[in-house]
Amino acid sequence: MNDSQMNLLVAAILEGDCAESVFQAGELRNGGVSTQHIVMRGIEPAMSALDTKCTLEEFNLLEIMLAGRAVTEVMKLLYPDGSGVAITKATVVIAALEGDVHDLGKNILKMVLGGSGFRVVDCGKDCPVPKLIEVAEKEQPLAIGISGLITNIIPLVRQVKDLLRLRDLGRVKVMAGGAALKQSSPDKLNVDFVADSAFDGVHYLESLAGGGS
Amino acid sequence: MNSLQRVAATIHLQETDRVPVIAQVFGHAARFAGVPLDDYVRDGETLARCQLEALHRYRYDAVFSVMDVNVETEAVGSELRYPRNQYPVIRRHVLSQEAEWDGLAVPDPKQAGRMPEMLKALGILRHELGDEVLVVGCILGPFTLATQLLGLERTLYLAIDDPPRLAHLMDFATDVVIRFGQAQLQAGAHLPVVFDPSASPAVIPPNFFREFALPRLQRVFQALSEAGATANWLHIAGPAAPILHYYEKAGVHIANFDYMVSAAEAMSRLPLTCFDGNIKSLLFVEGSPAEVETEAVNLLRAFRDRRGFILSSGCEIPPEAKPENIAALAKASSGKG
Repeated sequence: MNDSQMNLLVAAILEGDCAESVFQAGELRNGGVSTQHIVMRGIEPAMSALDTKCTLEEFNLLEIMLAGRAVTEVMKLLYPDGSGVAITKATVVIAALEGDVHDLGKNILKMVLGGSGFRVVDCGKDCPVPKLIEVAEKEQPLAIGISGLITNIIPLVRQVKDLLRLRDLGRVKVMAGGAALKQSSPDKLNVDFVADSAFDGVHYLESLAGGGS
Repeated sequence: MNSLQRVAATIHLQETDRVPVIAQVFGHAARFAGVPLDDYVRDGETLARCQLEALHRYRYDAVFSVMDVNVETEAVGSELRYPRNQYPVIRRHVLSQEAEWDGLAVPDPKQAGRMPEMLKALGILRHELGDEVLVVGCILGPFTLATQLLGLERTLYLAIDDPPRLAHLMDFATDVVIRFGQAQLQAGAHLPVVFDPSASPAVIPPNFFREFALPRLQRVFQALSEAGATANWLHIAGPAAPILHYYEKAGVHIANFDYMVSAAEAMSRLPLTCFDGNIKSLLFVEGSPAEVETEAVNLLRAFRDRRGFILSSGCEIPPEAKPENIAALAKASSGKG
């Protein structure tokens, strides 16, 4: 396998250069590199590098969105039937709650979770809490992820854990994140974890998945 | 010293009788007065009355004619939804369709959307307060307005896929906010705060800020100065430390800083610029007066020797904030800061 060509793919994804990423992935495949290898040695290292930048607080929405778009297009090339990455981890239900129409943070979480092998069920934005609980009952997820940009949804966030318990879903972890919610704490929001970023959230879920299964 | 004199001296890092307090009370003024938020953001008289009531209760140093971040985009043609007792949200961005790019026109602030109501509020506030208290209007930064015209996701992709087109959109946005800012000054504002959340390093990298946002902010602040603004105030929340050193070049006199930037770091990046900040907004909802006081005292101490500090929150104090927490903020500066 050509390592330098794989590095070009990683660099193109990190630069958010969609066309170049697709080109490099195509070149690798035409050169006989397996799809799985491209995912493991190209896409996953790129995601990991973004994670490191995020930890160092050298991270911004523009870069993650561009990288996300490049990854999406490469995946379309590699899996034209839409099968995507094999789901290897648990299910996570995500939502932006009723009154909050900002879903970019949620969409980024979705992308990072999907890229990390979780199965994501997206309840969308402006989602009423009863709907979220219903979906959780049906999907029996490992966790629920709530993204919030505005503070007025906090009373709704506080309800989620108690409503889950009423439906005998107390084992489902609740994670919150987003510009407004990350200023708070788990006890004030009545959740299990407050994530500083999408990657922080994924680390938490991975620790749950690792410890629980 | 009245509030306006206190703020003016602070901007020049001069000594004052006490540190000025500017609580970023916008929609909270409606809650405080028992007025539904969606009425507050649509009626200039109501807005002014609520702001004056809040001022009389809290006794801080500025009032705001600030509705929400969608005033300009609505005036240009975006459609909004007004949920009861909440801030409005965009139902449809004006540039949703390709063909709409050709029809863009700079709106007349005396006629378009809610702009006239914001101007009316400024007129009332200035008439009531004269030059005693700082009367603050609000315009968006050009990049933030671009994201409100097109949608944040599409704007960010455009930055990479077609930079000249983004530049064109931002130039249009710059024309819109300059005209609106000039109208606010004519209506009675001492200054409009330039609110630019999408220009935060949380959203775009610092080099992108330098290339796209900075030149247009320079143009905005120059135009506001020429139109008689008391000072230029830039409000970018989040982790803004990597772009603070551009503020001087932009012509900024008051730099807002959020809780993610420490007082020491802010001062080291801009030693001669007045700052306002940086108490966590959510503390006003979840915290206690004692916690607000502790944060305030730490800030007053940090800036005591250098001066040039306005005690404030890092971003908007949420509408549902506890009144006693805002009172604690105002009270914290009553000793000499």
